[in-house]
Amino acid sequence: MSLVAHYLPLLLVFLVAAAICATFWLGGALVGRKNPTAEKLMPYECGNDTEGGRGIRLHVKFYLTAILFVVFDVEAVFIYPWAVLFKGLGWVGFASMSAFIVALLVALIYVWKKGALEWET
Amino acid sequence: MTWWSTLFAVSPLVVVALGALLLMLAEALGRPAPAADGAVVTDVGSGRAGELGIGSAVVLFAGGVFALSLWMVGPEALPGAEGLAPYFIVDRFSAFFGVMLCLGGGLSALLGGGYLDEHGIDRSEFFPLLLWATLGAMALAGAGDLLTLFVALETMSIGVYAMVGLRRNGRAIEAALKYFLLGGFAGALTLFGAALLYGATGHTDLAGIGASVGTIGQPGSTVPAGLVLVAMALVVSGLLFKVAAVPFHMWTPDAYEGAPTPATTFMAVAVKCAAFAILLRVLFGAFADERVASWGTGWPPVLAVLAVATMTVGNLIAGRQESVKRMLAYSSIAHAGYALLGVVAAMRSGMGQASVLFYLLAYTVSTVGAFGALILCGRRGAEAVSYEDLAGIGRRHPVVALAFSLFLVSLAGIPATAGFFGKLGVFLAAIDAELYVLAVVGLLNSFLGAYYYLRVLVYMYMREPSPNAPRAVPMRSGQVGVAIAVAALLVVWWGLFPLSIGADVTAAGSAPMAR
Amino acid sequence: MTPLGSALVGLWPYVAAFLVGWFVPRRQGWAERLGVATSALLGVVLIVGLWPVAPAAGVGDDKPGEWPHLLNLLVFLPIVGALGVLFLPRQAPKVLRAVTLAILAGDFVVSLWLLGVPMTTGWHFQYIATWIPAFGIRYHVAVDGISLWLVLLTTLTTPIAAYVSFGSIRRRTKELCFAILLLQGAMLGAFVALDLFLFYVFWELLLVPMFIIIGVWGGVERIKASYKFFLYTMAGSVLMLAAILYLVWVHTDLVGYPTFDYLALSRLSLPRVAAALCFYAFALAFMVKVPMFPLHTWLPDAHVEAPTGGSIILAAVLLKLGTYGYLRFCMGMFGGAAWQSGATLAGIAIGLGILYGALVAWKQADIKRLVAYSSVAHMGFAMLGLFAGTRAGVEGSVLTMVNHGISTGALFLLVGVIYDRRHTREVREFGGLAKVMPVYATIFVIMTLSSIGVPGTNGFVGELMVITGTYVSQSLGGFAKVQAVLAALGVILAAVYMLSVVERMFFGPLTNRANRRLPDLSPREVIALAPLVVLVFVIGLFPNIFIARMRPSVNALLEDYEQSWKAHSEMPDHGQARMRAQPEGPRRKGYPEPPPPRAEPPGAEAGREVARLPTEEDVP
Repeated sequence: MSLVAHYLPLLLVFLVAAAICATFWLGGALVGRKNPTAEKLMPYECGNDTEGGRGIRLHVKFYLTAILFVVFDVEAVFIYPWAVLFKGLGWVGFASMSAFIVALLVALIYVWKKGALEWET
Repeated sequence: MTWWSTLFAVSPLVVVALGALLLMLAEALGRPAPAADGAVVTDVGSGRAGELGIGSAVVLFAGGVFALSLWMVGPEALPGAEGLAPYFIVDRFSAFFGVMLCLGGGLSALLGGGYLDEHGIDRSEFFPLLLWATLGAMALAGAGDLLTLFVALETMSIGVYAMVGLRRNGRAIEAALKYFLLGGFAGALTLFGAALLYGATGHTDLAGIGASVGTIGQPGSTVPAGLVLVAMALVVSGLLFKVAAVPFHMWTPDAYEGAPTPATTFMAVAVKCAAFAILLRVLFGAFADERVASWGTGWPPVLAVLAVATMTVGNLIAGRQESVKRMLAYSSIAHAGYALLGVVAAMRSGMGQASVLFYLLAYTVSTVGAFGALILCGRRGAEAVSYEDLAGIGRRHPVVALAFSLFLVSLAGIPATAGFFGKLGVFLAAIDAELYVLAVVGLLNSFLGAYYYLRVLVYMYMREPSPNAPRAVPMRSGQVGVAIAVAALLVVWWGLFPLSIGADVTAAGSAPMAR
Repeated sequence: MTPLGSALVGLWPYVAAFLVGWFVPRRQGWAERLGVATSALLGVVLIVGLWPVAPAAGVGDDKPGEWPHLLNLLVFLPIVGALGVLFLPRQAPKVLRAVTLAILAGDFVVSLWLLGVPMTTGWHFQYIATWIPAFGIRYHVAVDGISLWLVLLTTLTTPIAAYVSFGSIRRRTKELCFAILLLQGAMLGAFVALDLFLFYVFWELLLVPMFIIIGVWGGVERIKASYKFFLYTMAGSVLMLAAILYLVWVHTDLVGYPTFDYLALSRLSLPRVAAALCFYAFALAFMVKVPMFPLHTWLPDAHVEAPTGGSIILAAVLLKLGTYGYLRFCMGMFGGAAWQSGATLAGIAIGLGILYGALVAWKQADIKRLVAYSSVAHMGFAMLGLFAGTRAGVEGSVLTMVNHGISTGALFLLVGVIYDRRHTREVREFGGLAKVMPVYATIFVIMTLSSIGVPGTNGFVGELMVITGTYVSQSLGGFAKVQAVLAALGVILAAVYMLSVVERMFFGPLTNRANRRLPDLSPREVIALAPLVVLVFVIGLFPNIFIARMRPSVNALLEDYEQSWKAHSEMPDHGQARMRAQPEGPRRKGYPEPPPPRAEPPGAEAGREVARLPTEEDVP
């Protein structure tokens, strides 16, 4: 019982959100005027004609770059709250963050030397 | 002052982490070795598996020494050790596992140094991966909070996923993918369970969860019992996946077989031991209450059934394998069953946890030795995999055959080896917990197991290779040799005088599980 | 009378024996005559030297002349030797063989010291050292009048088996030396161990070398045979381990400290159901080894496939571990349950051991298989004597163990001899061999007579005592007399199958052309067989030498057996176990004392119930 009571507001929010979405979407689909032409039914690709199939492969380099971006970006996420509390943390906080940055630095050197940052290979 | 003692308390992890960083720098900045003949991979830093293997082993053994000195000083005497709880618990339990995991990881690294070089797959990232995975395993053994648990679990696992796929042929990729997908799924289960636990109790630390679970059924308690049970099942299932207990074992044989043998060793040894460590911590830290941990309700009956199923299925299928590596994979499943038996017995017996710890220690040295001997039986292009490959090794390489026999005898649990005392402790604990039937089933299972271990002996000593068959020529490697020698020494030493470390095991096994 | 004259008078038995030995084989050359004469002389030396002397006054508890490390030397000489052999070069088989034989011979000489002390009640040459104190595991070895003979049998037959093996096995000598030495150490260890844990360690340890001996140097089906041997034994022993652990746990619960010691665990009186389960767990392990029907099927395979040396060790020593184990551990520790099951098991031993074994042996065409099945029958006698639980029965049983070791060991050796020459063991391949191989035929016939139990040979004494013991047995109840008669029928059947085979092999016309030019026994084979032949007659004519030394131990054991039965019959089916009164006098020596109280590690035993110390009421 308590569980349901506890999460009921959350459930209501979900329901309201779903209802609003459904209203707009269904409203557009039911009320709107439809005038399909061949031009309109074409896949939309920035005004160009589409070429090739859907299942093209992206080069693995993109994934690598994306992953590296995520990894090094997390850095900022960690540094932000640390910066807010910097004064209270004192030298221990400074040392901890230094260690963290050094670790990232080593990782950067590693990635660099391993050639993961080179686009043309 | 507290600052230094805190640093000392986590020194094993710090040493391993620093070592891993240095090793990465050395590998990245070092001059690439000239490509060896027929080397499959010529990357930066490749061709240096030998040096990197020794380097990682030194780092891990150094970490082990720090864990040992931490043990000797006594974590409970350190004023700064408490400060890390509950995120990382520094106690005898984690110091013990620190030593065990560093030993297993270090020996695996030595095996890697010899193996990768010989088989032309010395992609040097193997060693940093191994070091970070060991770090994750050590952190896992000390985790006292669901958050650290999950982070450490993933740190350990991601390294291992990559190690499995190192060879990059079809088999290895299949192995890595299976392990990765199922491992990811198991991780998700654990995380889902953790989330539910937080929802049910409002705590992420195991001690807090344990306290909340203890209030179930009392007046004024707001902890929903059903939700706790579901959450417990989810968390424990995720961990059982890592220890490869039936029915979560399906990935094991493929992953073990497809992975390069040193990675297999690492999975069988470090990953499994760390998973058992956290399993013990979770069960006895958070779910030790009578209401979820008695013979009538909760996890013990379920785990007892799983333990019996695990050892029986593992042993029965292991007996039908044609590949020695696969046989060792299934046998590692069976060994997880015996250790689970100890976990169940720990519910009622004071010696249960210590018996699991000693079992894992004995299993670690025996398994490293067995895989090491298997590595030493083959050579590039002719890796020893099947029983046929081992035919006549007893004559062509008697020292390796003798060592292999020793490790198998230890795994089979025949006296005067460490493995025997491991089994003895577990069965004694089961009897102490008055689980007679489980003890007898376990003993009968160790009889089942003897069959396929003997089969290796039969092929090594009593069969000759058929005339036209390609025969595996034993390789030479100082590193693998050293690893085998160390393992053999420990197997015999603990087989003759198991209690030279017995008090230590007991002290570790009786450490309070949560703070 | 001058000193010389009195010396000559004192020497007359030796001179007479030598002369008889010299003149009886008249048609032989001087070498054979010298051999026979020396054997006869040695026999007399043996008899005079071993004649039981009443212990002098004052010889008692302190036991002067017992070197405490004797058994350690005995057990660890071969084991250390085995490890040493590993470091010898593989290319020098002669050195390897010489070293192995020297170690085994040294072991034998050392073991003769055991005969030098009077075997009074209690433990002799006892040595105790702590091994794993936390579990109460000690290194505890000792002999009494029962294990004494089995130790001697081992130290005598293993060198013979090794010597014979070195004659016929030419490949992988190093492994062979290693296996034999390790096996010897493990067998001796199992016979002298008084700590159950130590016993179990040796018991399992000897499986591996025997597995290798059968599997590497055996016949065509050797791998299957070695598997069977290993797995049968292992299946039995895991159950035994379960029972041992249970006993230790009960002891800890009752008395407050753990121990694996035989002296302490044999004081336990378990509730009846638990006692029966533990008894059968132990008995199963031992009956596999003996082997008793229906657990015997590994034996013919193992015997037939094993090389000659392996068969000798298997028959002479390994099977004895089963009977010895039953006597020492099943009867010594679960006297009540053993008493209760005695009648049933005796029925099995007679019907399916002695009689069935004999009938199956009769139908065998392969001589080695025949001897193997005759082993089943003979070991049936040994077990029957134990099940009877009377003094004559147990003494006869111990004697039968020794006899079987000698005569069956010799028969396997003889079968090996003919197999080396003809590479077949089919009875119908032979006939009239006595003409071409007279010495061989003579020894074969002597061993056959011993195996059948003809008066004057060793077999007669043992089997007669077993049958007598069965006849008067209390524990077998109303069937004792029937069973004694049926067992006697087994003796007759043995005569039928053994004599018919001797007749077909050695007498009649020499039909098979291939047998025309078979060489007679080589010096190596004669040397190996001579001590066994001498012993056949020494035991057969002067059994008192042996029985007098085992009697005090057997008496003490049977007394305890009866007490244990009484205690058992008063126990409930389920419930609390009790400790019986500790043994008194010399038999108590070495009883494990409670460990001194020590500081507990923090939290080690937390939450554990404090064990109850025994009160007056616990001790009947």
